[in-house]
Amino acid sequence: MEREFAVKAKGVIKSYDNSRALDGIDLEVRSGQVLGLIGPNGAGKSTFLQAVLGLLNTEGELEVLGLDPRKERHKLLQKVCSITDVAVLPKWMTVEQVLQYVDGVHPRFNLEKARSILSLTDIKNHSKIKTLSRGLVVQLHLSIVMAIDAELLVLDEPTLGLDLVYRKEFYSQLIEDYYDGNKTILISTHQVEEIEGVLSEAIFMNQGRIVMKDSIEAINERFLELRPNQDSLERARSLNPIHVRKELGREVFLFEDIEIDKLSGLGEVRPPVIADLFMAIMERTKLEGQQ
Amino acid sequence: MKTLATLIRRELQEHKVGFIYAPFIVTCVLSLMIISVYFGLTDIQTPEFSLTTEIYEDEQALEWMATADSNQITSVIRSGLVVLALPIILTVAIAILAFSLSTFADERKDRTLIFWRSLPVSDLTTVMSKILLITLILPLIVLPNIILLHLISLLSASIFFATNDIVPFGWIWNAYSFTDWFRIIFILWTQSLWSLPLVAWLMFAGAFAKRPIMGALVPIAVVVVLEGVILKTNYILEFIEDRLGFWTSGLPEQNEDLRVVDVSDIYLMFLTQDFWIGITLSALLIGGIVYFRSKNNDYSSE
Repeated sequence: MEREFAVKAKGVIKSYDNSRALDGIDLEVRSGQVLGLIGPNGAGKSTFLQAVLGLLNTEGELEVLGLDPRKERHKLLQKVCSITDVAVLPKWMTVEQVLQYVDGVHPRFNLEKARSILSLTDIKNHSKIKTLSRGLVVQLHLSIVMAIDAELLVLDEPTLGLDLVYRKEFYSQLIEDYYDGNKTILISTHQVEEIEGVLSEAIFMNQGRIVMKDSIEAINERFLELRPNQDSLERARSLNPIHVRKELGREVFLFEDIEIDKLSGLGEVRPPVIADLFMAIMERTKLEGQQ
Repeated sequence: MKTLATLIRRELQEHKVGFIYAPFIVTCVLSLMIISVYFGLTDIQTPEFSLTTEIYEDEQALEWMATADSNQITSVIRSGLVVLALPIILTVAIAILAFSLSTFADERKDRTLIFWRSLPVSDLTTVMSKILLITLILPLIVLPNIILLHLISLLSASIFFATNDIVPFGWIWNAYSFTDWFRIIFILWTQSLWSLPLVAWLMFAGAFAKRPIMGALVPIAVVVVLEGVILKTNYILEFIEDRLGFWTSGLPEQNEDLRVVDVSDIYLMFLTQDFWIGITLSALLIGGIVYFRSKNNDYSSE
């Protein structure tokens, strides 16, 4: 039976001493979505993903693939894959030893598929992981994950510390070779611009809370960015933009829930990039908090 | 079962130097020493021990060899072989202590814990795989080394005896029982269970303490001092000392000597209260290790 939601969270809280890393997360992630968790350091992205993986105890209701990750972590991990950091593959192992290990413990791992994926890379089976570059280690990890028939993939800063080429390769391989429309992917990253093209939904998080959640389609309909002509500046300002930023000396206006007809003729109109929208939403949230 | 076997294989791959290479190297060195001694290439005599063929020049020794019955010969051979195998056992024991202290600390330190825990293996299964490795598998790995050393020693001695007209070649072999191999493996298994509380304690320290050596020693030192000051007793130190030694020391008087312990004596260990105290303590510590490992989530990037 196809599951409607891969993740359901209601009032999820994670407290540490006097602070809350997660402060009442309410979220429903439909199966088959590629969801990006976007937020600054300390926003709670990794904490939430760890809770999804059953690595943290949280308060509130949390259901992942119909299971409670706090009580059924072992069962859940048969259906969930994760790359939570690039530097965690055991350095003393050879590539073949890692493959054999995963094959021995994961019922949904396809050893031949992993070998076949790796044969297309520069990674040799007899190589020790400590001899591989950081980029190749990530590629190895991704190859392992791609050979697991998982329903949910959790990626927590998977490309941290990688150079641009490997980052691009990682996401293109992920979407072209792995994503089939049935799998659900949760990604948290600081490099928002790199995942923008692969997301179907985005969540903005700050201080343990969800500030905004929407599909990319809806975001593109709801928000518009205007680079006004010099003579339309005042007219644009009078339409109450939610945020104004400067780009190469020019002002760029961000509007929410505005008809495109009102902006046409005032300058260049297009949907905002996620990174810019995120900055605008964060500033607005900060201002609302101060009031 | 497949998961457990995979986990144990992984440990052996990671710790092959301590668990496989080191005992084998010690076996080879000891074998070479024995061959050298019997073939007159060397003669080792120190105040502590001696490896020499000089004793076979002693009239009394020769007379005893000529007249001893099969049981007496078996007893002497067993004694000699046990002593001979001690360096191998000691090597593995040191490797086990180092492994126990570092295994849970290292996976935290190098962050491989994140990878291990991202796969569908429960913390209990992981911990039990390490316990099984030490108690069940390592004795099986050590055994071939001991057998190899035994056979090389006995063969060298037989050739020496025969070529020097001391006793016939078959003198030793008639008294050597190949069922002794089972005796050795059972003794190693029971010894592992006897010393399990120490191993479990070291693993526990590695699982909870940032500095495992301090975590292992400081609480013990504090409790020992408090026990000495308040109760004027010494039970904890005695307990540790007992578990570092052979389990046979706890057996009734007639079985006190390791050399005459047989497979049929092993049930005696299961009858002792001390054994069950150790097993209970180990079970509690294993529970603690599982708890701390499952709580080791201090790797958030946030």
